[in-house]
Amino acid sequence: MFTSLLLCTHGTAGAQYAEHLVFADLCVKNPDLNVSVLTIIDQDWQNMTGDDWLNSSKTHTKFLDHVEQQMQEENEEDWQRIKATYPAAEKAQFIGVVGKIEQTIAQIAAKNSNDLIVIGPYRESRRLFNLKMEKGLRSRIKPATLHPLLPCPLLIAPVCSITG
Amino acid sequence: MAQAQDNKPLFILSGLMIIYALIASSDVLHPLMKYLHTAKTADLQVSMGFICGGVGILGALINSVRKPGTTIIDRFVLQPLPGILLILVMAMAIRWYVEPVVKLISQNLQPVLGFKIYKVLNLNYVILGLLAGVLITNTYGIPKFAAAGVKCARFVLKMGVIMLGARYSFAELAKLGSYSVVLVGTFVLGTVFLVLWLGKIFKQPKTMTGVLSAGMGVCGVSATVAVAPVVKAKSEEMAYTIGTILSFGIICMFVFPTVGHMAGMNPVQFGAWAGTGILNSAQVAAAALAFNAVDIKTLKVAEIFNITRVLFLPIIVLVLATWFGKQSGQKLTFKEVVIDKFPIFILGFLLLFAMSSMGLFSPPTHYKGKFIDYSYNERTQVTEKEWEALNGAVQNNTLQGLKPEQLAAVKDLVAQRQLAGNYESRADKKLFNKQGQERMFQLESILAAAKGKVLTLDKSVKGAIHHAIKQVHKKSKTVTTLTDCMIWFFAFGLIGLGMQITKKAIFQAGGWPLVMGIISGITKATLSFFVVLWLVKDVVLK
Repeated sequence: MFTSLLLCTHGTAGAQYAEHLVFADLCVKNPDLNVSVLTIIDQDWQNMTGDDWLNSSKTHTKFLDHVEQQMQEENEEDWQRIKATYPAAEKAQFIGVVGKIEQTIAQIAAKNSNDLIVIGPYRESRRLFNLKMEKGLRSRIKPATLHPLLPCPLLIAPVCSITG
Repeated sequence: MAQAQDNKPLFILSGLMIIYALIASSDVLHPLMKYLHTAKTADLQVSMGFICGGVGILGALINSVRKPGTTIIDRFVLQPLPGILLILVMAMAIRWYVEPVVKLISQNLQPVLGFKIYKVLNLNYVILGLLAGVLITNTYGIPKFAAAGVKCARFVLKMGVIMLGARYSFAELAKLGSYSVVLVGTFVLGTVFLVLWLGKIFKQPKTMTGVLSAGMGVCGVSATVAVAPVVKAKSEEMAYTIGTILSFGIICMFVFPTVGHMAGMNPVQFGAWAGTGILNSAQVAAAALAFNAVDIKTLKVAEIFNITRVLFLPIIVLVLATWFGKQSGQKLTFKEVVIDKFPIFILGFLLLFAMSSMGLFSPPTHYKGKFIDYSYNERTQVTEKEWEALNGAVQNNTLQGLKPEQLAAVKDLVAQRQLAGNYESRADKKLFNKQGQERMFQLESILAAAKGKVLTLDKSVKGAIHHAIKQVHKKSKTVTTLTDCMIWFFAFGLIGLGMQITKKAIFQAGGWPLVMGIISGITKATLSFFVVLWLVKDVVLK
């Protein structure tokens, strides 16, 4: 039914359910499925300089360049993990974009003419009390923002046991 | 026409300011202003309304008739103008309406709660402004038209610090400088090494401890932003560290002034403690103004400590770069690490200090004691605590032995909260000043009688009268104008910076950075509190 699919992941436990659904289930059932893996570098990193007023704009730019470079490296590692875990991922197209999460998902899906978007399930964040640190920014997809922008159906992957 | 549409917010804001100025100038608002105790600022409210509204209309007209360009005027004046005006409207509304209303509500709630909320939380216009900024950005969001103006807050705050340079003497700068170098040096290096040590104990990566040590030790988010690329911090390390520092800083902003008041700290001690113990430099300024927004003693001390910390930043970056460079084998140039990180605005601060010290702002006739300014201004008022002491003495009839004219002068001081002429005569400067002089003579005679043991005065009442007299002795009009502008610059800057603190950034806090941040932050704040109380004595401040 679906031929082109956009998988949104940033490597968290929730996103890994979506990866599993796409590569261990949907791609196995439909080997011709065209998958694009989208990892977004959250534009809100720009707001992470908070109330800093001492540094020059040059230092701010250098910080944001470092964040982008770092995120790209971390995304690359994540993509390698996906490729190593799921053989079906070898054929997938991997895309890294800087932008607002909801708008970027909708824009890329429209641009690629995807007919299905897959994201991970809601997962309670225990960032404050968990000593194990999670990559990147703590960020949530806001359904109220995303849903009106969607160019195609959205599938939220169910929680499942991941065996690889 | 399309361009005029783009300028709609600017036209509306400017129009509102002019309409407000017209209403305020017609005395219609006088009863309300009197009720809110802001009637003395009526003239300033009218002037600011007309001037800012006029500039706004002019800017909107220019923006409407010409295409937006990339010239300096476009980038630094015309584009940010709507945002600047929005923050100014907020600053004016908070200073003249929100703060007095919060005070009135707090006073009315006192019988129920047993304390005044605005006193416990230090809810003056500075803190309220910063909170308003945080609230707007995290609810409605910064309006698109104001985005460029909000970014100006950083520049405006730097201008405020530069202007503050005119308020120091050589003696003060030398004394405060020596205190700050010793305290900041000890606590900056101490905290940096404490975090690095904690990192080793908790087996945390050096990239994380490097970025956290700079943030916790030097100047919060600013140091984190400067150091992260140098130590090649990972994304989660930056996010968790910034979240931890922002959360800790906001809590400190409320806790420090309350603890300072409870511990009976003087302005110098509090400024030194805030300047050493609070992580983010913007929150140091906010806490100093929260402790005392009437005069700028605390701010003067806190900013010297802030500047010293900022000067330590390149040194810490150099130390961490060397430490990290050894780990990774990468080489960083002296320019990359030190020159690029040097805060240039400090040169402006030193320039203003040098100009002021050479007497460029203070002609010989304007030296202390020669120039008296009775004009209505928050700067010339007694503090809230002093006012309460005076009011209590008048209400409880404890001012025994005073002549009727002396008592009348004290009662007027209570009514007006400052030494001044009659409110009704404010338009006639000569008469107004004469009335002020007569009152000052009566107040000085009270102090002389108390000194000669002719009458007995409570220490707090004596201190309040002494301060009221001192408040109207000004160095020069130029310095006074610079100080007034500076206070507005700080209020503006802190609202704008509040607008840049998002809940998303705060909620990044957690993990090992939070554990290590809490340990090092509380250790630094507690130790510096005792060291400041022990070492720092009052310094003569003008």
